[in-house]
Amino acid sequence: MTHIAPQMWAPAVRDSAAAEVIAAPSLTFWQDVRKRLWANKPAMLGLGFIILLVLAAIFGPMVSRHTYFEQNLKLSNVPPLFQTYEVTDSAGATTRFFFNSGNLNLYEVTPSGEVAGLLRPAKKDLIKKQQQFKFGYHEVLLDTAKQQLSFADGTALAPTGWQWNMSNVLGTDQLGRDVLARQLYGARISLTVAFVATLVNFFIGVFYGGLAGYLGGKADTIMMRIVEVISTIPLTLYVILIMVVFNSGFLSVVLAIGSVYWVDMARIVRGQILTLKQQDYVAAARTMGASTPRILIRHLLPNSVGPILVTLTMLIPSAIFIESFMSFIGLGVTPPEASWGTLTSEAVETLRAYPYQLFFPAAAISLTMFAFNFLGDGLRDALDPRLRT
Amino acid sequence: MSTPLLSVDDLSTSFFTSRGEVKAVRGVSFELRAGEILGIVGESGSGKSITCMSLLGLLRSSGRVIEGRALFEGRDLLTLDEDALSALRGNDISMIFQDPMTSLNPTLTVGEQVIETILRHRKVSRAEARARAVELFELVRIPSAAKRLKSYPHEFSGGMRQRVMIAIALACDPKLLIADEPTTALDVTIQRQILALLKELQSRLGMAVILITHDLGVIAETADRVLVMYGGMVMEEGPVRQLFAKPSHPYTRGLLASIPDLRDDTHHRLTPIPGSPPDMLRPPKGCPFAPRCPHAMAQCNAALPPLYDAGEAHRARCWLHHPEAPRVAGITTELVPA
Amino acid sequence: MTAYVVQRLLLMLVTLFAIITLTFFLMHAVPGGPFTSEKMLQPEIQAALNAKYHLDDPLWLQYLNYLKGVLSFDLGPSFKYAGMSVNEIIAEGLPVTMKTGALALICVVALGVPLGIVAALNRNRWPDTLVMVIATIGVAVPSYVIATVALYVFALRLGWVPTFGLDDWRGYFLPVFALSGFWISFIARLARSSLLETLQQDYMITARAKGLKRGTVLIKHGLRNSLIPVVTVLGPVVANLLTGSFVIEQIFALPGIGRHFVLSITNRDYTAIMGITIFYAAVLMVMIFIVDMLYLVLDPRIKYRADAK
Repeated sequence: MTHIAPQMWAPAVRDSAAAEVIAAPSLTFWQDVRKRLWANKPAMLGLGFIILLVLAAIFGPMVSRHTYFEQNLKLSNVPPLFQTYEVTDSAGATTRFFFNSGNLNLYEVTPSGEVAGLLRPAKKDLIKKQQQFKFGYHEVLLDTAKQQLSFADGTALAPTGWQWNMSNVLGTDQLGRDVLARQLYGARISLTVAFVATLVNFFIGVFYGGLAGYLGGKADTIMMRIVEVISTIPLTLYVILIMVVFNSGFLSVVLAIGSVYWVDMARIVRGQILTLKQQDYVAAARTMGASTPRILIRHLLPNSVGPILVTLTMLIPSAIFIESFMSFIGLGVTPPEASWGTLTSEAVETLRAYPYQLFFPAAAISLTMFAFNFLGDGLRDALDPRLRT
Repeated sequence: MSTPLLSVDDLSTSFFTSRGEVKAVRGVSFELRAGEILGIVGESGSGKSITCMSLLGLLRSSGRVIEGRALFEGRDLLTLDEDALSALRGNDISMIFQDPMTSLNPTLTVGEQVIETILRHRKVSRAEARARAVELFELVRIPSAAKRLKSYPHEFSGGMRQRVMIAIALACDPKLLIADEPTTALDVTIQRQILALLKELQSRLGMAVILITHDLGVIAETADRVLVMYGGMVMEEGPVRQLFAKPSHPYTRGLLASIPDLRDDTHHRLTPIPGSPPDMLRPPKGCPFAPRCPHAMAQCNAALPPLYDAGEAHRARCWLHHPEAPRVAGITTELVPA
Repeated sequence: MTAYVVQRLLLMLVTLFAIITLTFFLMHAVPGGPFTSEKMLQPEIQAALNAKYHLDDPLWLQYLNYLKGVLSFDLGPSFKYAGMSVNEIIAEGLPVTMKTGALALICVVALGVPLGIVAALNRNRWPDTLVMVIATIGVAVPSYVIATVALYVFALRLGWVPTFGLDDWRGYFLPVFALSGFWISFIARLARSSLLETLQQDYMITARAKGLKRGTVLIKHGLRNSLIPVVTVLGPVVANLLTGSFVIEQIFALPGIGRHFVLSITNRDYTAIMGITIFYAAVLMVMIFIVDMLYLVLDPRIKYRADAK
């Protein structure tokens, strides 16, 4: 038996609260949600991207040098990045230009990288498929079949380097409109459609679901049967029909998408209200004399916020998607207005000659979908009480 | 004395979570003889369920047995591979769980869930297995047994489902039945029926039972011996009568004081134990119960007490049993120092 | 059991009726009427056309007649293709749409479910990460982007498959891939999370505690239960494969119903729009009904609940 010092048998010193302390710091629900959302890197990345996108959509078109509708047919389908050639004529003046393989034109480029304009061939030989350009005494032959540039003596012209297009940073489309300006404007339209349509859905859904849940009984049964019928209808078809009735355009898109996708929201809100109606604390509040609106605002809403928020975050990308889908089959916004859908479908028209034009609208919409999906997933995980630690 | 059916020695199990290692079970040892009922009692999180799950290799993926031995009929359960262990589960050792509502597969008939167990461990035809299932249903007193085999779990009440669970557990005449809070999720009247059934079946079939519960009342009615667990450790261990008559650990005393005794007609107040169980991410260096113990001494926070022998296989983990410790009425006075 | 089937059948008929009604009145709410795009028709020609198509009848009579037509599987004449009925338009496009759609559905189930299972069983290991990365891309990138990029790379650049048409069996690859890409990803994600959830269930521990072999536990107890949510979304999946075909058939120039539908929208061929919409809805209702019956087989609780009502 080991000997133990007598002072060790003295009553333990303790602060009275120690026994009650739970080791993990206790957080309120929303603090916990925020903490877990912060820790979710993809969700935060998504949120960051969305914020940047919204800022770009609001301020981008304001600071852009070009407008989304201004056309310059002479400078159509100019790529954002090209290989330049240089030819110095007898007077010592150097002309810098590049060859656009899509439309077989040569464009002059300023030293600062701006596209100055089209170079006119001096002669066109349609049989030999050759074009002749004159720079002083120098002659440059363009073989349009082989897509080769050579001097008159047959030596090939070597490219002098790569140049980023400084006048149209993302190039131009088939009507010579600035792709960046259209891209930014498209973001504005797509996001506006998505946000407004989601908001409309939100109000209809919350109103309908809230009413059904609040009324309960027969009214609830009938209202939910209607929802059941609506939810089996292929909604994309109805968006299309509504678009046919109201004709294409920004407002009809918003109206069509906004009036159709509220069913999930209504279900969630109703479910929340039904469960919450049975919760003890609501009964407690009622016993203590709280009025109906007060119960709705103070008790029911804060508890329903989670699932509603997640549904909203998931609805926005679907709205963006539906809008682009509509625009793609020619039912969306009308030209010259642009949305990501119309931009994609315009790019598809020129896919063979200018495949890179598909890149920007496709990337924009895909990245946005990623961002919203990540944010939505993150939010759902953060709000899931089962995952609380 | 014969060799025990199961002897667990110094079992430690941890869960590895994103927040760190949760030491759920810390050095638990006990023995179980054939035909004996051992009660394990403790609050939720005391490690009582984890101890049994560790034995059967049923821990969730983040859990791992750190060390220890568990000899069952001479074989160490903790070193058996999954194949050998699964041949043992449901056959020699079976288990029933707390919530009969979720423990049965909702999409299979209850009959199928019994029959598949029999077919797994016995070389019998499907018809024979079926006949055995009817027999088992009659054994656990499910009315119109043959007909009920075709029912789905949701067509049963909670008590009936627990009977199905018991039938499944008894399907292959196990030598050891682990019942993990088998009555907690049931109504009080049903609780008594299920307990009575368990006890009756145990004496008829002669199997050993480990009964996990947080209810000392259940232990008093059913068990032969008791293990009191706290903070992943055994705090006190002994024969039921002995332990109830002379609780030798402040925690056991606390537990006894916090349950109503209907036979006692003196109306004294129930005393709850203040505070909450320790955080097993950072278990205290000393006695895990010290922060909540009314008799805590400086020594309790400084070092973990050993198990002191209180005679008649009764042991308690408390510094008060140290020969130099101050005497506390009700705990140490009757004790002979080991 | 029968109560449930009858209930589903009734719901199906009510929905179909609602769709026909809604579609009819939506199409007749179009300002100006069906012949407005043909600029300045002679009044007498206009009147003759109206009489021919019974457009001078009161609306309710037109509606009743249309309803009668639909009930006898006659969707009426096309306004734009003289001598062609909507039935004929559908019959012409149906084989193409059915073939690509069915293949896509097979891909969705045959690829999506196994991918989800592999991911769930290897949770947080490389197969899981790989599947989730692919599935996340698949869910985020719209089908028409997948379609055009695939068209450019595999048809235009590499020349492995034809750029349009289905004359060559290789022509099916890209449309089916583009059509099913999103839903393969979606189902993979759903199957994964559903299986993970099932693996956490108490009855899975019971199954293991009974000593059942690993494979039995997983297939008999795990998969069956985790497939229930997957089956429930198959109805909407079919719907979306159908509507998805609008764009895909457009991009790959396939002569299916989707293409006809988009064409009739551009042409404002109202009877065709109306007829194809109703046809789509009917196909869909039947699919949802089938899925409901499948659900009944998989989950005995449904039967119980429906009969208890």
